[in-house]
Amino acid sequence: MKRAFVSALALSTMLFSSPAAFAQELATKDRIGLTNAPKTLTVRLTNDSPNNPDPAIAQGYQKLFVDFIKKHPDWKLQMQFMSADIGTEQAKMLEQAKAGNAPDCAAVDSFVLSQFMVNHVLADFTPYFSKDEVADLFPFIRNGITDKDQAIRAWWWDTDLRVLYRNKSIVPDAPQTWDDLKKAGLASVKEGMEGILFNAARYEGSTFDWLANYWALGGKLVDDSGKPVFGEGENKEKFLKALTYYKDLVDSGAAPKRVTTIGNYDDLNAAAAAGTTALFIGGNWQLAQLKATLDPDEFANWTFSPIPGPTADQRSTGTGGWTIASFSKDKDKVEMCANLARDIYMGPGNALQQQLPTRKSLFDRYDVFATEANKTFAEALANGQARPGAPIYPEISNQIQIMMGDVLSGTKQPEEALNAAFKATMEAYKRL
Amino acid sequence: MTLIAIEAASRPHSRSFMRRFAGAPLPWIMPVIIVIGIFYLYPVIDVFRLSFTNATLIGDNQDYTLASIANMLSSPQLPDILWATFVFVGGSVIGQQILGLAVAVVVVRGEKRGLFGTTILRTTALIAWVVPGIAGGIIWQMLFSEAPYGALNSILRLMHLPTVAWLSDPAIAPWSALISNIWRGTAFSMVVMYAALKAIDSSLYEAAEVDGATGSQQFFFITIPQLRAAILVNMILITIMTLNTFDAIITLTGGGPGRATEVISLYVFNIVFRNYDLSGGSVLSVLMLIISLGLAVVYASFLPKEDER
Repeated sequence: MKRAFVSALALSTMLFSSPAAFAQELATKDRIGLTNAPKTLTVRLTNDSPNNPDPAIAQGYQKLFVDFIKKHPDWKLQMQFMSADIGTEQAKMLEQAKAGNAPDCAAVDSFVLSQFMVNHVLADFTPYFSKDEVADLFPFIRNGITDKDQAIRAWWWDTDLRVLYRNKSIVPDAPQTWDDLKKAGLASVKEGMEGILFNAARYEGSTFDWLANYWALGGKLVDDSGKPVFGEGENKEKFLKALTYYKDLVDSGAAPKRVTTIGNYDDLNAAAAAGTTALFIGGNWQLAQLKATLDPDEFANWTFSPIPGPTADQRSTGTGGWTIASFSKDKDKVEMCANLARDIYMGPGNALQQQLPTRKSLFDRYDVFATEANKTFAEALANGQARPGAPIYPEISNQIQIMMGDVLSGTKQPEEALNAAFKATMEAYKRL
Repeated sequence: MTLIAIEAASRPHSRSFMRRFAGAPLPWIMPVIIVIGIFYLYPVIDVFRLSFTNATLIGDNQDYTLASIANMLSSPQLPDILWATFVFVGGSVIGQQILGLAVAVVVVRGEKRGLFGTTILRTTALIAWVVPGIAGGIIWQMLFSEAPYGALNSILRLMHLPTVAWLSDPAIAPWSALISNIWRGTAFSMVVMYAALKAIDSSLYEAAEVDGATGSQQFFFITIPQLRAAILVNMILITIMTLNTFDAIITLTGGGPGRATEVISLYVFNIVFRNYDLSGGSVLSVLMLIISLGLAVVYASFLPKEDER
């Protein structure tokens, strides 16, 4: 009797008097929730999760997940984490989903969402999000997650955009046009810098960052049916104009030829940290990275502005981000996945990682988005454009990457490279 | 019935079972055949099957057709891809073979003379082999970086030499990829050559010395002929390994600039995972298999026959 009393006292002490110990019980490396919980939801996530390499963000996510599972004590989350090779991970998950082996709930990159939609492998989230929540989404986000039957197939919870970063001590005024940027790049070279840096290697970011220039001209990659049109008619002219602009930056020396080897936003941070560049095209999230990397005095020199357009009025910027979607046919699991998207990611996750929300109202709800920088980013979303939700997009991107390398390295002239890219894309389109 | 009684009763039966299959190898190798069949042959057969379809990762329906084979083999990109592959594989095989043999000879000679550092040399070479391809790609990307702080170019600047566009020049990038692959694969060749060098009968060298043969004569008329089998087997192995290498290249250049370093294994990866084209990827995989087997047969034909040894 005495022993039973002591055991009960110890158990109650552990459960009620020590939340930290309880939290540890609930969260292991690959499980959130009690081991013996009757229901299991398999969840596959990126580093936007307790798997984040930044310990503070990882702990923040762990707390969000533990708080979430405490509200759903009958459930446990079986966690799986993706590698950094996102393209391959998403392709594998698509194959798994078609075979019926995909996780119940997973992170799907917004630019491949259409591939999952056309295969009809995504559960319907429509019943689990209110009309107000859906109406509050930015229009490009709402369109991106809605299928042709107007059903919500995923919840797009964060977005981003590209801007021009500059060192004010070397480039005092924000370049407004393509010509301004070229002049600023050449001026920075005179100051001993290596000119404007941007992604131009074989890498999705190279395509996406450059597309802002094409979109600013009003160019389209695909038509309404998803057929590639970038190599025809007016689109071809606009495409060549945007491509020639980049070539001119390199040929004139305003950008170094080594841009064809840059395939990682971290390389741009490295150049800023080394003080070898004063201008680069990067993502909004890099502002926080620069702040963490540079000395405060040095960071104070850095600022950002919208990507210059062909004219000051013609602006565009690429917007991406991640969604949460369910592959399950079990309604309880689909609802649980939708709850996870709402409670962890839609708002708290944005604030934790300072990743831009996809709903206007959330910018006012969290203090982190009240900073001048984040307000400016939010305003810039007005010029945001997402990649087309067409199954052929990954191949269009692949061809643009090849074309970019050929043109900037001087192997091919723009028109020759564009014709080759369009021809290869159309061949791939026919095979899909 | 006692245990002994059971054994006694079953013994004639089991003896006849053993006798029946004693001379027949099939029952004994059947487990191996099943395992190889499931884990090795089935995927190969499925790749052959897929190459005769129009299967994609996106579409549900797949029909049997020869169109995928015709499309892939007539693709205008294929000649450039095959040329990049030929340079990469050929250069890697020659480079790894020569360097591997050189390091092995140095290590064996060093060991014979009890020189300090031979173990360090052997271990250092092996470290490159242990490093995963992706990590090796990152290491070489940092070395070849054309940023003002890039490692190799910084050394060149210190020596007042012109810098090199290691990765951004389409004419130089394939050679940079080749250098990184030779660095990585030399250790494997060294291990094979080291074992073969150790197996050479020392009396051959003693006899040569008595006859007054120089060091280079001993190398070319004793060492190389004695290593013939090892060299050919090594060539088969490193050809196949290099043909399948794409992890180091994808990290180093991603296949760029343009398609300058896109070898066939990386092309297959891109066709399947970027273009979602399963049948196209399968056709190219079969092509890779044919190239590998063809080269292996050519190399094997030069292997010394049993009566030549």
